[in-house]
Amino acid sequence: MSDTAMSPANGVATSRINWRLIVPVAVIALMVLLPFVVGTQSYLLGIAVRAMLFIALGQAWNVVAGIGGQLSLGHGVFFGVGAYGTAILFNSLGLTPWVGGVLGAVASIAVAGLMGAATFRLRGVYFALATVAISLCLEKLARHFIGITGGDAGLAVRFIGDSLSAAQSRSPLPFFFASLVMVVAYYVLTRRLLRSNFGYQLQAVRDDEEAAAASGVPVFRTKMWGLILSAGMTALTGALYVQFYLAIDPGAAFGLGQAIQIQLPSLIGGLGTAGGPVIGGAIMILVSEVTNWLSARTAIHGLDILAYGAILLIVVMFVPGGLLGRTRRGA
Amino acid sequence: MAQDEVLRVEGVSKVFGGLKALSNVSMSVKRGEVVGLIGPNGAGKSTLFEVISGNMRATAGRIVLFGDDVSTVSPDRRRRAGMSRTFQKVRLFESLTTQENIAIAAMQCARSNDDWRGEVQSVMERLKLTRLAQSYPAELTLADRKKIEIGRAIVGRCRLLLLDEALSGLTMDEADELVGVVLSLNTELGVTIVVVEHVLPVLVSMAQRLVVLNFGEVIADGAPREVASNEKVMTAYLGSKRGAFS
Repeated sequence: MSDTAMSPANGVATSRINWRLIVPVAVIALMVLLPFVVGTQSYLLGIAVRAMLFIALGQAWNVVAGIGGQLSLGHGVFFGVGAYGTAILFNSLGLTPWVGGVLGAVASIAVAGLMGAATFRLRGVYFALATVAISLCLEKLARHFIGITGGDAGLAVRFIGDSLSAAQSRSPLPFFFASLVMVVAYYVLTRRLLRSNFGYQLQAVRDDEEAAAASGVPVFRTKMWGLILSAGMTALTGALYVQFYLAIDPGAAFGLGQAIQIQLPSLIGGLGTAGGPVIGGAIMILVSEVTNWLSARTAIHGLDILAYGAILLIVVMFVPGGLLGRTRRGA
Repeated sequence: MAQDEVLRVEGVSKVFGGLKALSNVSMSVKRGEVVGLIGPNGAGKSTLFEVISGNMRATAGRIVLFGDDVSTVSPDRRRRAGMSRTFQKVRLFESLTTQENIAIAAMQCARSNDDWRGEVQSVMERLKLTRLAQSYPAELTLADRKKIEIGRAIVGRCRLLLLDEALSGLTMDEADELVGVVLSLNTELGVTIVVVEHVLPVLVSMAQRLVVLNFGEVIADGAPREVASNEKVMTAYLGSKRGAFS
């Protein structure tokens, strides 16, 4: 991905402090230190892993929907295929999740290719509807083929103890660093993407397909590659998710609730920005923890969903582009 | 095909349901020409632009661009081949800056050794957009937005430019400035231009040739003065045989 930045400072020496670099580096440094502060077996470390998995899913969705403008309402498909693929290959064939995760991503990419080929030449909501339809189909299939997927109860990954080759650990520490690497990698990828030719193509297609084509942008190909990249990222996150939780079920994989949750970090943090899903995801996990605590004390269930809805409503009404806003997409 | 012909429209028809928007339209444009495409509302000018640029497929007929039949070629490939357009209602990438709007087209059309960044700077200078390089379209006047659209259209080896009502909505001064810019593209860069415009006196002064459409058919094709005194044209425009552009 060649850097084609056309930024104001392009080619101009500047002595201003580069906060866009300093802030992410400082956050990463603090995250690296976190296990040494809270302890390697801490509950907080588990929350951090959950947060980063959530953020990574938001980052993946942001590529096709936030930057590319293709509203996917069924990204759980790619997440589920990645997670189930990894778990099934390990349980039934003993295939290491390092390979299983990649194969799951390849399967997700194949599904994305089929979805894109069927819908991307059409205008309007067809793609969004197709993602929902495929998501619902896969949920039904996952519930039906009990022998492979475990049916409604879901699939538990066979635990063999601490093992690098099986990507399993009793401690959250390896998953903390794995998910941190994933979030940082996705963040860097998004930043590079936004300043690359492909990133500009995606943004042009998002803003106006006909004008993009009139500027020489291959619209269909751009949408297709955006979806493929996003599907691959989502599936890899699904693979890490299933290794951390050691379980996956149809609702968590293909359910609409999951699909909607995947969208929230970007919508709240900043659609089409590099930092938006990170901020949005962190806020949501914070809210989730507080509402879970409140739910436990008040015996009122679903407070987290209410809080998510309220936050989303406030963002849509007062900061429609999300907290970082679209114009600060390099952030 | 004549060697200096950049565009040939051959027997193009376009039907929407029961409505025939274009009926066996033929015309050609030679290298370096400025051709005006005129006609009353609903004559089929915009439909013809859509067919030429590839946004619509013709029901019948062929579009030959730079010697190649591009009738089934996508709009983005036609753009990369050297034909670009503006839209009746300005369509920019609203989340991108002026510079990025122009750079996108330059990047798509650039070959490996091209200095597309340099070209973007030079186009912005030509259109007096340099000071607005980091502005977003929503912050700009209509005249500047139109200039950005023209800038986006002319970067990347543009050889044929289709301008769709580029002057509409502008003040006299802004229109004069834009006419100057457009003519300089033709005289200095050798860009062939086909322009749809409702401000007929301006068009008559710009174009070397006028093609007149009415009810989807070409009713006249010739020098502006000839066309202005054409009986069919006068009837189409005024319903009588007075001077059409007077």
